[in-house]
Amino acid sequence: MVELYPSLAQCAIVAAAFKVLLFPAYKSTDFEVHRNWLAITHSLPIQEWYYEKSSEWTLDYPPFFAAFEWIMSQAAAYVDPAMLVVKNLGYDSWQTVYFQRTTVILTELVLVFALSRFVKSVPLPNKNAAHVASLSILLSPGLFIIDHIHFQYNGFMYGLLILSIVLARKQSTLLYSGILFAVLLCMKHIYLYLALAYFVYLLRTYCLDAKSVFRPRFGNIIKLGFCVVGVFAIAFGPFAQWGQLLQLKDRLFPFSRGLCHAYWAPNIWAMYSFTDRALIPLAPRLGLPVNHEALTSVTRGLVGDTSFAILPEVTKEHTFILTFLFQLVPLIKVWRNPGCWDTFVGAITLCGYSSFLFGWHVHEKAILLIIIPFSLIALKDRRYFSAFRPLAVAGHVSLFPLLFTAAEFPLKTVYTVLWLVLFLFVFDQVAPVSERPRIFVFDRLSLLYLTVSIPLIVYCSLGHQLIFGWDRLEFLPLMFMSSYSALGVVGSWVGFMVVYFTA
Amino acid sequence: MANLAPSHRPRPRKKGRPATSPGSNNNLILDIGDGKQTPAFPLVSFLWAARAGVSQWLILPLILMAVGLFRWAVSLWGYSGFQVPPMHGDFEAQRHWMEITTHLPMAQWYTYDLQYWGLDYPPLTAYHSWLLGKIGSAFDPEWFALDASRGFEDPNLKVYMRATVVVSEYFVFIPAVVTFLRRYTRMQGVHAWSASIALAAVLLQPGNILVDHGHFQYNTVMLGLVVASLDAILAGRMLWACIFFVGALGFKQMALYYAPVMFAYLLGVCTFPRINIPRLFGIALITLASFALLLAPLLVGAANASTREVYASSPAPPLLQTLPIQVDKSSVLYALIFQLTQIVHRVFPFARGLFEDKVANAWCAIHTFYKLTRFDATLLQRASLGATLASIIVPCAIIFRHPRASLLLPALSAVAWGFFLFSFQVHEKSVLLPLLPMTLLLAGDGGLSKELRAWVGWANILGSWTMYPLLKRDELRIPYFVLTLLWAYLLGLPPTSFETYRSRLPRETGAAQFEPSTLTTLLHFSFYLVMIAWHVLEAFVAPPPGKPDLWVVLNALVGAGGFGIAYLWCMWKLLTQCRKIDLQAIGEDSQKKKQ
Repeated sequence: MVELYPSLAQCAIVAAAFKVLLFPAYKSTDFEVHRNWLAITHSLPIQEWYYEKSSEWTLDYPPFFAAFEWIMSQAAAYVDPAMLVVKNLGYDSWQTVYFQRTTVILTELVLVFALSRFVKSVPLPNKNAAHVASLSILLSPGLFIIDHIHFQYNGFMYGLLILSIVLARKQSTLLYSGILFAVLLCMKHIYLYLALAYFVYLLRTYCLDAKSVFRPRFGNIIKLGFCVVGVFAIAFGPFAQWGQLLQLKDRLFPFSRGLCHAYWAPNIWAMYSFTDRALIPLAPRLGLPVNHEALTSVTRGLVGDTSFAILPEVTKEHTFILTFLFQLVPLIKVWRNPGCWDTFVGAITLCGYSSFLFGWHVHEKAILLIIIPFSLIALKDRRYFSAFRPLAVAGHVSLFPLLFTAAEFPLKTVYTVLWLVLFLFVFDQVAPVSERPRIFVFDRLSLLYLTVSIPLIVYCSLGHQLIFGWDRLEFLPLMFMSSYSALGVVGSWVGFMVVYFTA
Repeated sequence: MANLAPSHRPRPRKKGRPATSPGSNNNLILDIGDGKQTPAFPLVSFLWAARAGVSQWLILPLILMAVGLFRWAVSLWGYSGFQVPPMHGDFEAQRHWMEITTHLPMAQWYTYDLQYWGLDYPPLTAYHSWLLGKIGSAFDPEWFALDASRGFEDPNLKVYMRATVVVSEYFVFIPAVVTFLRRYTRMQGVHAWSASIALAAVLLQPGNILVDHGHFQYNTVMLGLVVASLDAILAGRMLWACIFFVGALGFKQMALYYAPVMFAYLLGVCTFPRINIPRLFGIALITLASFALLLAPLLVGAANASTREVYASSPAPPLLQTLPIQVDKSSVLYALIFQLTQIVHRVFPFARGLFEDKVANAWCAIHTFYKLTRFDATLLQRASLGATLASIIVPCAIIFRHPRASLLLPALSAVAWGFFLFSFQVHEKSVLLPLLPMTLLLAGDGGLSKELRAWVGWANILGSWTMYPLLKRDELRIPYFVLTLLWAYLLGLPPTSFETYRSRLPRETGAAQFEPSTLTTLLHFSFYLVMIAWHVLEAFVAPPPGKPDLWVVLNALVGAGGFGIAYLWCMWKLLTQCRKIDLQAIGEDSQKKKQ
């Protein structure tokens, strides 16, 4: 057993100390969302959980997450009972803040545990790399910004995801991996985006014979089917009994939202909208028809139905078909390589990519869906790493608009720059040389991309204000950031596709 | 350490350590058998990957960013005087100075409405406030509007003020500490890796962060100028040392705690080994010139006609009244003397009592058992002066006789402890002054050994502990616990770990001298126990009726005892180091004679 320093526990302790210091930091409406859920689950009977709407932040996570809130509310009752009153909208006494922030830090221990299992599961020669990767996840600026300032429970949830991925490594624990993923789906349905990869992998590796697709292993099929159906039955059964399933569906999948989220997530649709906007002044010269309704649209396609002035309209169906298609492509390889864990994790990553890039109303926070599984295999060799690099920069930089208050500005930038400098350097040292030749162009492009980030961040954070003042053209830095990030995410996606299929 | 061992013992081969590294890395890497190595304390493991030598261009920015994050995180918390009208606290005082310096002519800086946080820091602070006030007014003039902005509490103003502390620290304290440590570790033959670890430990010192970024002050600017002065001494640039030290004095009069040592050292350098008159002359001249430069803008500001009229009609400062000379009230000279005496009067408030509040020094401790108020104020002042002089005379004499750069740190800490314990008008925050040179000892040879770490760590933790009543008032309880415990954890100290006090080496290897003795262990453990017990008492037990300050007084008493011990330890450290140097000198002499 090799000891690696600093250990996960040591990093977790220092990181926890830092996170406690962030108690008074800015918190988004998600804080109130979760407080409201604590109140709903604590003070109302289960039948009313999904009907309660005193607050605009209704319960829109699946039942297990509601149960998780209920468990926490039992402790909250001892801290400050007032936070458990449904009518106390916007209640944020210091006890409430300390309590909720503490639960985020404590539940993140699940992530620490999952990462330690991950390092244990890796064979000895790659242990060092796995340790570095797990430290990078533990200290991820994404989790730092989203969980500990903005406020969510991603650390806990990604802990479960990583645990499930680690359990998928061995044939003997595959069943538990499937069960755990089913539980995770019943906590937060965003993981549905990854479900296809799990389905194909479990089907091929667990339910069918490794040598022949035509020899099903009935014992395994029954076991897995029983367990997964059981998990869903526990979660949704009671609500089915009360005839509330349709209500749950409406709450969990609110399709009335627009194509792009208020802050453009750096995906294909952001680039599409950007192109559309850029074409408006050119349209008359190119002789393109302009949709004048879109020009006058108040929301400019941010909320509600998106309307494009020149480019064709995008519907939900289009996004679904695109997402599905691009998810299927990597799954072919999973199907052909039964039991190959690296391929499986690669497929999860690519499923994350396609849902992030093509999905409907994607939130920029969903970038973690790509970064975290990718981190697990980013150090496989240098080719993987060179695809990961632009993603690490773009993905984290794209989270910056989540925190817009002056006091948090140094926190998010310095923390992210610290993380990028440290881990990109260490990854570079640790990643083994690939067996296959590298693709020269990708390498150089990614280096160029990285270099551009420095002047861009400086411009967006300081330069713009110095040149144009505080309130002129303030959309410009945001647009630059978004386009830059989108370029990085798409570039790393293309790069990773190539690596994935040539590996 | 290993090279001190008897020659027949084979020296254990260490992998991954450059051949040039001195023995002091042995303090950081523990052999646990089978050729396996572990870091001696958590801070080492955070820099574990760098032990084979990673570029300073990488390590340094990473350390600076990490410690900066902790500073900024603390600054999110409360500050002194938040929502406490009518006077608020140190935050308001600093903001108010930015307000008056940017709006009033220099002649009025030290005279304007003295009842409301009148400027009582030396000129460099005034100029610093002026600069920050000008920059801040560019963001929002409302923050520093004259009179209208009193007690202004806007979140943006808080961010700006907090940022000024961080930026000032990164412009002064941090470059000074980085260059000082680089020079000092090279001089002491300490490996670059150990130096980085010591740097991280020094920059995470809980007291500095809590007072400057929590409570709100600019101590690190003054401390940084002192460190810059020390750095200049190490580099042999005595004149720069004078300039920086005058800067420190001109920023905050508290730097006087260090002045006797600096004076003794500079005088010693001019006297031993042979008397060097030109150097003495140069030092005196440059010191006077820097003081003149420091005061020049204020004096020029006082000399114009309108100011002269104002001064002539206003009551003279008490100091001027006692001067035996008579000057024509409308002359330029009168205005200059008026301004000068007013500054001195503001900066050195002799009229105040022996001590304010409860502070962990000798006077407050004695006062608890034997009320000092029964004595005349002048008698107390004399007693305080006498006691302070008595406590600093020995270290100053040593430094004068042996003006060696390596003796400066223990001498500075001993003298600063002397001042803290016995001088007049001590604040609990002044504990940062003796703590700084003591903490810098971590970078010296054997600085990260268990013995030194135990003592320096203990003094620092005790120091933050005595500031707890102050920090509690500012709603800084959680940052206090987090930062102090984090620092203790990183350096492997109680209450988080007892590793430092556990002997891992057989005594005969000669390494025993780097480990805390049984007496040290007992002493420190009893203090740690008392501190923990005090926190429990303070949190859960109400003080008896009629004695509402009992816990605070108890804190000050224990603190005074501990600081007395810290003073003695620094003295002992100074004496042993001095003796070592003497012995070395004798050895070299006899070798020369043999040749």
